[in-house]
Amino acid sequence: MIFREVEDRDLIAKARRGDVEGYNLLVSRWEKRVFNYLLRLVSNRPNSREDALDLCQDTFLKAYQNLPKLEDPARFSGWLFRIAHNEAFSLLRRNRPEARDGQASLESQPAEAEAGRMFPLELSLAVDGALKRLSDDQREAVLLKIYQGFKFDEMAEILDCPVSTVKSRLYTALDVLKSVLSPIAVRGE
Amino acid sequence: MSCASYDWKGYALGEMDRAGRREAEAHAALCADCREELAAVRMALNALSTLRDEEIPRRIAFVSDKLFEPRWWQRLWNPNLAAACVIAAAVLVHAFARPAESPARVQAEINAAVNKAVAEVEVRHAEQTERILLLYDERFMNMYKTTAGLVRQ
Repeated sequence: MIFREVEDRDLIAKARRGDVEGYNLLVSRWEKRVFNYLLRLVSNRPNSREDALDLCQDTFLKAYQNLPKLEDPARFSGWLFRIAHNEAFSLLRRNRPEARDGQASLESQPAEAEAGRMFPLELSLAVDGALKRLSDDQREAVLLKIYQGFKFDEMAEILDCPVSTVKSRLYTALDVLKSVLSPIAVRGE
Repeated sequence: MSCASYDWKGYALGEMDRAGRREAEAHAALCADCREELAAVRMALNALSTLRDEEIPRRIAFVSDKLFEPRWWQRLWNPNLAAACVIAAAVLVHAFARPAESPARVQAEINAAVNKAVAEVEVRHAEQTERILLLYDERFMNMYKTTAGLVRQ
């Protein structure tokens, strides 16, 4: 007997023919990744989990509606994350929380003081806090690269900007994270 | 090359080609500052990797609706198939009609018949597509509103 894993492009083809169950299977494959991406992207908002869930639903609804426009099913992941990006930034632009700036908040929060109190098991909490200190653009670059594993050129397509801009945002973010997390990580070892 | 010319973040992120990696590694073997920079980048990346994905609080699913689903002929519908059928019909007409008149005149009649048939199919197809899209949008939005309402409940 030959087992063949159903691939995304098979499910996309089914969904395009109106097979809702095929689309649900596709959703089940991607919803956790998209949800976590959105959750971390809107993490500075008061109801970030509810916002992320709503955005996630809207993302998959728009993806379903626009599935016939997807030219290359092999690029589904980047296309899906582009929709998620647009949804998230639409929300972030519409209703920004208190004006914040990544650099300013970095200075205003005593990272080293936190580092001095840090235990290894608290590292993930520190990472969560460090990510919140980044600007939205910088945080998104980290999420797409570190947590979603996209290449620079794929990120450029998702964010609709040049590769040089992607690298600049990511490298600046890494410099900030390096300065915040290195002392913590060293202490955790 | 100076230390500043080595992209240690790109190296740690796997965005450097093989030749670039070899050159960077050779430099790092001799340069303590660059080794320290690379170690700091890796440490930050390792720290980032400790953050675990959260489970989605509510699974997302769309409901199936028979009215929303395309009918059997819509699933089979394919413009290329329709065009092939028209051409096949034209060939059959040409083969079995056995016209007594001149071949040029018969050909002209066949061409006219084919053109007419193709035009009719195209008009029908456009009308059907428009109806399907209207029905699709209406049913889908209804379904979404219903689903969203149920999910919120």
